[in-house]
Amino acid sequence: MYNPPVQLVPLAIVAGMFALLIISGLRTGSRQTSEYGFSGGYTGRVGIGAAIASNWMSAASFLGLAGMFYLKGYYAMAFVVGWTGGYVLLLVLMASQIRRFGKYSAPDFVGFRYESEVARTLAALISITITIIYGVAQFKGIALLLAWIFGIGYTPAVVIGASLVVSFVVVSGALGVARNQKMQYFVLIIAFILPLMLLARKLGYFWLLPQFGYGAAITDLQTQFGFAWSEPFSTVSLYQWLALCFTLMFGTAGLPHVLARFYMVPGIRDARWGVVWGLFFIALIYWSAPAYGVLARLFEARAGFPFNSADPLAADMVVLTAARMAQLPAWVIGLLAAGGISAAFSTVSGMLITGSASFSHDIYPRLIRPGATESDKVYVAKGFFLILAAAVMALALKPWGMIAEIAALAFALAGNTIFPAFLLGIWWGRANAAGVIAGMLTGILVTFAPLVLGDAVPLIGTLLPPTASAFIGAPLVLAVMVAVSLAAPPPSNGIARFLARDVHDCPEEP
Amino acid sequence: MHEPNKRVSFFRPRGSTMRGETRVIKLVMAGWLAAIAGSQFFVWFLETNHSALLLNDYTFFNLPVHFWLTGQFLPLWFILLCILFNIWMDRHAARSLDGSLRFRIRSGERGD
Repeated sequence: MYNPPVQLVPLAIVAGMFALLIISGLRTGSRQTSEYGFSGGYTGRVGIGAAIASNWMSAASFLGLAGMFYLKGYYAMAFVVGWTGGYVLLLVLMASQIRRFGKYSAPDFVGFRYESEVARTLAALISITITIIYGVAQFKGIALLLAWIFGIGYTPAVVIGASLVVSFVVVSGALGVARNQKMQYFVLIIAFILPLMLLARKLGYFWLLPQFGYGAAITDLQTQFGFAWSEPFSTVSLYQWLALCFTLMFGTAGLPHVLARFYMVPGIRDARWGVVWGLFFIALIYWSAPAYGVLARLFEARAGFPFNSADPLAADMVVLTAARMAQLPAWVIGLLAAGGISAAFSTVSGMLITGSASFSHDIYPRLIRPGATESDKVYVAKGFFLILAAAVMALALKPWGMIAEIAALAFALAGNTIFPAFLLGIWWGRANAAGVIAGMLTGILVTFAPLVLGDAVPLIGTLLPPTASAFIGAPLVLAVMVAVSLAAPPPSNGIARFLARDVHDCPEEP
Repeated sequence: MHEPNKRVSFFRPRGSTMRGETRVIKLVMAGWLAAIAGSQFFVWFLETNHSALLLNDYTFFNLPVHFWLTGQFLPLWFILLCILFNIWMDRHAARSLDGSLRFRIRSGERGD
């Protein structure tokens, strides 16, 4: 039996990158106080933007999007538009208002705004579910890369990946490592774009800006090899494309770990400009990712591979495949692998920590053990972290789609539940606890109905594709929230006054 | 008890700050929606009413026109919308601050 060799140089680069991030994290931890005092203005905004982008970049961005483009062509553009357009919603409708609530998490926000422990618990459960689904996408990315580096199968790679994630969190926690997100972003963007430039150069395209250079490769694929992706809306309807695109946008403005960036930012103005920088940094990745898909196709065509590849596992590895087929130096391929693993690691570890904190803070002391002490909560958080990691690992053993598709399901859940709860919570003073509970329950139903009933009731599968249900779901949930809120008593005067005076700067009325 | 008509609402903003903010949000959202839906209907229109080859033959910045429009232009447009929104918000915040300072100075003078 042939055992692929361990990729020693990439392995060393991965280890080196993690060592670099941990060391810089240690320095960040000791410097943080003074940096908050002096950062501001231009540097502060760029820093906030880099932190937003670093927080955002996951295996779905680093690996999944290129794979989706490789396999489905223009359809993948819905991800590009959805994952950038969502930041417009976030900026104009939520970013500065969220900070004025002075809360620390999505369940905190929901519990305070709607004055309801039930709503808070429901939001916590939804946040944990989102963590699990999103985590599966990250674990899949980590496992694919580790399987290649160590020359092992996918299943053992999932187990090793999960163990490494848990170890990473434990070591970081024990050493007091703070995430140096600014540096992490710049390392990731170099790890993503430098190999792409080398690929374009190798093929003789405009390598200085490969984001434009890959256009010639599309033409070459067509003229030299007779390959073209299907027409934009021939295999996927315009409705499906728009449904996915809007679902991802609503989900972006509803993902708890994305919203978390705005609860505690030092200043509203810097936070707003930070979003612009963050969006630019994120767009740099999305302008580049399709190029990997196109260039991988071209290398395959030149090597005489047939064009019928539809293997989702192979497609998710296309970023690495392109670099390997181009015979780029081992350190460049290692840089790519290290970037992918690092993006997935930081996302999944952050989400698992947030998910376990949500359980120990929002569910355990309220539902399971009222009167739990702070030390009880810390123990529970640690235990739940392990349970969450094990659950994500178990689901990642048999992933139900490509990395980007798995992530899109998490976006659909967030877009159907948290997004409407925040939107009306901020912009409609009449929204109340009954409305948000009914709305979030409807959102859960809408998200999971296509998975459960999609085959039995084709209309549900057509109108509510599993990865794109928030297009109809979010407006439906908003309508349910409005109807139920109007039928129930209004929220207290205290909240109405807080919303008017502290969130929206409305003048006091006699 | 707050009267229903005194509760804040996006569609019934109260005070000049909120009115101005909702106005600019509506404009940004209109630009956001029009660009996304408009670009896709344009691509769909070209594909269904003309030769699909037209899409690949028209290139812009080296890319087939629909790839450029969706993959390159729309993210850029979103960044532009965010910049315009922030500029407006900064100016508005400066005006509000200016107004409130003048108000405080005037009330201080009266107190003297």
